[in-house]
Amino acid sequence: MSPLRLFRAEIRKLTTTRMPLAFLAVLAGVGAINASLVRWGTDFDGSKAFISTGADQQSLMAFGQNALLICGLFGAVAGAREHTYGTAIWTFLASPRRARAVAAQLAAVATGGAVLGTAGALLTAIGVSGAAVTTEFGFLVSAGGVLRVVVAAAFCGAIGAVLGAGLGVVVRNAGGAVTGVVLALMVVPPLLVQLSADAAPWVPSALATTLSGITLEAAGAERQAGVGAALAVLVLWAVVPSVAAFVATDRRDVV
Amino acid sequence: MVVAGAVGTPSGPPPIPIEVDGLTKRYGSHLALDDLSFVARAGRVTGFLGPNGSGKTTTMKVMLDLASADGGGATIGGTRYRDLPDPTSVVGALVESNAFHPGRSGRNQLRILADVDGLDAERVDEVLETVGLGGAADRPVGGYSLGMRQRLGLGCALLGDPPVLILDEPANGLDPKGIREMRDLLRARAAAGGTTLVSSHLLAEVELLADDVVVVDRGRLVAEGALDDLRTETVAVRCSDPSRLASILEGAGANVNRDGGELSVQGLSEEETGRLAFDAGIVIHRLHAESGTLEERFLRWTATAGEASR
Repeated sequence: MSPLRLFRAEIRKLTTTRMPLAFLAVLAGVGAINASLVRWGTDFDGSKAFISTGADQQSLMAFGQNALLICGLFGAVAGAREHTYGTAIWTFLASPRRARAVAAQLAAVATGGAVLGTAGALLTAIGVSGAAVTTEFGFLVSAGGVLRVVVAAAFCGAIGAVLGAGLGVVVRNAGGAVTGVVLALMVVPPLLVQLSADAAPWVPSALATTLSGITLEAAGAERQAGVGAALAVLVLWAVVPSVAAFVATDRRDVV
Repeated sequence: MVVAGAVGTPSGPPPIPIEVDGLTKRYGSHLALDDLSFVARAGRVTGFLGPNGSGKTTTMKVMLDLASADGGGATIGGTRYRDLPDPTSVVGALVESNAFHPGRSGRNQLRILADVDGLDAERVDEVLETVGLGGAADRPVGGYSLGMRQRLGLGCALLGDPPVLILDEPANGLDPKGIREMRDLLRARAAAGGTTLVSSHLLAEVELLADDVVVVDRGRLVAEGALDDLRTETVAVRCSDPSRLASILEGAGANVNRDGGELSVQGLSEEETGRLAFDAGIVIHRLHAESGTLEERFLRWTATAGEASR
């Protein structure tokens, strides 16, 4: 069974339900919130100092963290619903070598996550830039800065989706998988930082921020990972549930 | 559904039997399959019968590598399912009639499978017409009736035009016309040399459809053979020593089932059975020939197996 055929089938699975549209609507909502914040929001003193520099605006546009979480949920639902609805049966009938099918599924959700991450970053960039030009500061982020934010969001979207899909395949239940994503991205990292402050630069949110070209100094962090290290460690966050997905799929009965 | 043979009959395939050998499967402490062995032959439709929970679906899942076996195994044309290089072009399977995303259309469900199999959109259209879903192909499956989902499942099984079909309760939810069309389709495929294993609760339907039957109860084989042979007259015997007479009759080539103190003998006439008992000095209390429907036979086989396991 050709891996390319399996990948194509998995992409068709993702694009033949309304789920991607629902996630696009969420992304559009996030972009609209950011635009509203720039247009009408103020600091405590009534000023708009929070968008007064290019770095401030790039920080506001940075979509990596959002991409991780939103695409994590996307991956979780995509991975779990295969088992919830039983459609995994057809997949494994066509590809009884299950590892190939799981690899194709993870590759497809990674692609979907990258597309959603890119779309989210672009929608936010459009919203923020459109609102910023109506203020006294105008839009101050360079083209390179916008590109950095978009590329980071695409990467974080892919990683989040794979992490979510891995959990979804292991848990085989959309509710449980969504809970797993929230735990993995929002509950466990702060606990890790509480256990050891040295973990702070390596949690997903900090890594996504680093990749988006934003310094963590403003958030009071003393250390920040380099871009290469951030890429590698963020991949590791997705590798763990992916390996679990391969092992669980191989060992358990499909139905 | 277009009548059989118009589309999708296998074109002169080599005979591909399904062979199950010593299959054993446990779910925790529950023994779902107990050393089950049988063969579904090419060019025949084999009815796979058994009460609820007897292990029919589990057997099919193990055959298709959707579930693992704890012992024994199953092959299709001598090859394990997982080792078939292009499995859906050899075996078409329907094991869960409701295994579809409710928001996806029937056409897209088939196109996903066609992508995996490297088939084009024309084949999808062809199969949709074959199973009678041409008019509903672009509606979400969530709006389909049970019968329409069965038709879609059958379409998924037929998509790769495989010579072997393994179908779990394919008649569930079909209307009489749909059942008739499915029967014609399966009979045509068998006539073209295909192998079909069909599980069903509808014994009357199996009588019309199947050439052979395999009957399981509590995961064990209780009867296997050509339907015509199994339906033929049997001799019921009550005697002073059923165990010894059973051994003698089996030694003479008969197939003997025990139903409490009564023996049900196939393969020997009343006269031959009586003579063997007389020669052995066994007192006959009652001896008479009987025939029955598949339903009567089925109830007798499964009741006997139930008593034996107690």
